[in-house]
Amino acid sequence: MSDYSMKDIEWAKINRDVLASLESPRKEFWIVLSVCIFLVLCGAAAEVYQYNEGLGTALMNKPHFWQLYISNFVFWIGMSHSGTLLSAILLLTHADWRKPIYRFAEAMTLFSILTAAIFPVIHLGRVWDMYWVLPYPNERGIWPNFRSPLLWDAAAITTYATSSILFLYVGMIPDLAICRDNAKGWRKKLYTALSIGWMGRASEWMAFRKTYVLLACFLVPLAVSVHSIVASDFAMSIMPDWHITSFPPYFVAGALYSGCAAIITLFVLLRYVFKFEDYMTTEIMDKTAKLTFAIAMVWNYLNLSEYASIWYSNDMFEKEVLLEKFFGPYHWVVWGMLLCALVAPFAMAFEKVRHNMWAMFWLSLVLQLGMWLERFQIVSPPLASNHEPWTWAVVWPGLIQLTITVASFGWFTMLFLIFCKVFPSVSMYEVKEMVFHRRKASSRTDMEDLDKVKDDMIKAEEGLS
Amino acid sequence: MRRRQKHFLFGVFDDFEKARDVVSELKVLDLKEKVIDNIELYSPIEHPEVEEILGTFHQPIQRFTFFGAITGAVCAFLLVAAAAQSMFTVQPQGGKPVIPLPMDIVITYEGTIMFGVYSTIVAFLIYSGLPRRLKKYYSQKVSEDQIGIEVQIDPTKSDKARAVLEKCGAVEIREVTQ
Repeated sequence: MSDYSMKDIEWAKINRDVLASLESPRKEFWIVLSVCIFLVLCGAAAEVYQYNEGLGTALMNKPHFWQLYISNFVFWIGMSHSGTLLSAILLLTHADWRKPIYRFAEAMTLFSILTAAIFPVIHLGRVWDMYWVLPYPNERGIWPNFRSPLLWDAAAITTYATSSILFLYVGMIPDLAICRDNAKGWRKKLYTALSIGWMGRASEWMAFRKTYVLLACFLVPLAVSVHSIVASDFAMSIMPDWHITSFPPYFVAGALYSGCAAIITLFVLLRYVFKFEDYMTTEIMDKTAKLTFAIAMVWNYLNLSEYASIWYSNDMFEKEVLLEKFFGPYHWVVWGMLLCALVAPFAMAFEKVRHNMWAMFWLSLVLQLGMWLERFQIVSPPLASNHEPWTWAVVWPGLIQLTITVASFGWFTMLFLIFCKVFPSVSMYEVKEMVFHRRKASSRTDMEDLDKVKDDMIKAEEGLS
Repeated sequence: MRRRQKHFLFGVFDDFEKARDVVSELKVLDLKEKVIDNIELYSPIEHPEVEEILGTFHQPIQRFTFFGAITGAVCAFLLVAAAAQSMFTVQPQGGKPVIPLPMDIVITYEGTIMFGVYSTIVAFLIYSGLPRRLKKYYSQKVSEDQIGIEVQIDPTKSDKARAVLEKCGAVEIREVTQ
C-alpha cells in the first residue's frame, strides 16, 4: 500500500466534502437518530419510574447493591479512554494517519464520559444528594472523605472531562473558522462565537501547536490515571477477585481495547453515512485494526496472568470465586466474554478482514460486546460468592436496569450524531497538512527516483564507452 | 489625542513559496526605505518554517503550564490536608495518620493536571491574541487553500509594497486604512 495515498486531494475539495457532511447526510442518519431518541425516551421513562418507586424496582433491595449500573459506568469510562488517549499518543509520536479520525474519536471520549457520569447518579437513587461529592463541608463541619476511591473518581472524572473538552475544542478552532467563513444563519453566529476570531495568522498557529502538544502531554498520564482510579474502586476493597494488584493496568488496557473497537465502529459508520471514503481509507483502517489487535493481546496477557496468579497462589477464597465464575451461575457471561474479547480479535490478524470495512464493523461490535460482558463479570460474580455468605445472591438485571442500559447506548449515539451534524467530524486543516506533507514526500521520492535513473544511465554510458 | 491610523495591504497568494518570496522582497524594501511596520502571514495550515522568514515568535506557553501545574499541586494538597485536619477535630481517626500522604497524592495529581491544562489554555489565548474581531481585509480564501500576507505600512509608501505583492504573483490585493 502506498504511503502517499491521499496526496492528490485538493484542499478546496476537503473543505467542500467535510462541510457537506454538516448539511446532507444519507437518510440512514435520520433513521439511526430517531431510534436513538426513542431509546433515550424509554430510558428516561424507566428512570422516572425508578425514581418514584425506589431502587427496589431495579432489584437493588437484595444484598447485591453493585450491578449493572456500575458495570455500565466502568464500560463507558473505559470507552472514553481511547479517543483522547490515542489521539494524544499518536500526536506525540507524529503518526499522521490519526489526522482524519482523531476528531470523532475525541468527540467519542466526551460523549462516553457524559454517559458514564449519568450512572453513579442513577445508581445513587437519591439523586438530589449527588452534590455531597463536591469538596466542601456539610453543616456539621464534615468534609467528603478524600481517602475514598469514590471521591478520587469524582476528582479524576471532573479533570478528565474538562481537559478532554478543552483538548477537543482547541483542536477544533481552525476548523470552526473554516465553518464560520462558509456558514449562514444560526450556524454563522455559532461558529463565529466558537472560532474566537481565528484567522490562521502565523503567531496563532505557533501558539496553537505548542498548546496542543502540551495538552497532549497532560492527557496521556491523565487518561491512565482515570481508569487506574476506577480500578481502585474495586482493588482497594478486600473482596476476592477485586483485591488484585494488576487491576489498574488491566483496566487501562481494557479501556483502550473497548475504545479502539468503538473507534472502528464509528469509523465505518461515519465513512458510510457522510461519504468520507476519500479520507477514512483502507490504509487507516488497517493501521487502526493492527493497533486494536496489539492492545487486545496486551489485555489478553493481563487477563490470563490474573487467572494464573490466582490459580498458582492457591488462595482458597480467590480460587473459589474464580471457579465459581467459570462454572457457577454466571458462567455464560465469562465464557461469552472470552469468546468475544479473547478469541474474536485474532480475526484481525488476517489482512482480508482488516481491509473489509463491514467485516471490521461487525467484528468491532463483537469486541465491544465482549468488553461489556467483561465489565459485568468483574462486578457481579464476585458479589455472589464473597467473604460473607449472608450476602450471597445470584441477581440478574431486571427490566428497568436493562432499559436504562440500552438507553445509554441510544444517548451516546444521539449525542455523537448531533455533534457530527453540527461540527466537522473530520479535521479539515489536519487532513490538509497530511496531504501537503505526503505530496512533498512523494515529490522528494520522485526526484530521488529520477536521480537514480540518471545515475544508471551515466553508468551504462560509461560501460558502453 | 487622535489615534494614528494604520494602513494595511493584504495580498493573497496561491502558493506558500510565492508568499515566502514576497516576505523576502518586502524585507529588502524595508531595509532600503524603512517603510514597513509589520508583516504577518496567514495560512490554512501550520508552516513551521515560517519562523525562518518572519523571525522567531516569543511564546513561553510552557512556563504558564509549569507554574500552573505547580499551583494546582499545592492547592489540591492544601485542600485535602486542610480537610483532613478539619475532619480530625470532629471525627477521631484512631491511630491513622491525620494527613495520609499516599491517599492525598491522588487528588494532588489530578489538581496538578487540571491547573496545568487551564493555565496552558490561558497562555494560548494570551500569545495567540485571541479572542479578537475579524480584520476587515481578511479573505475567506485563506481558510481554504491560499496564503495571505498582511503588510502594515506607511500609507505614503504603500505603492512600493503593492508593486512587490503584484510582482510576486498576488491573486488579490486588499488595501485598508483603520
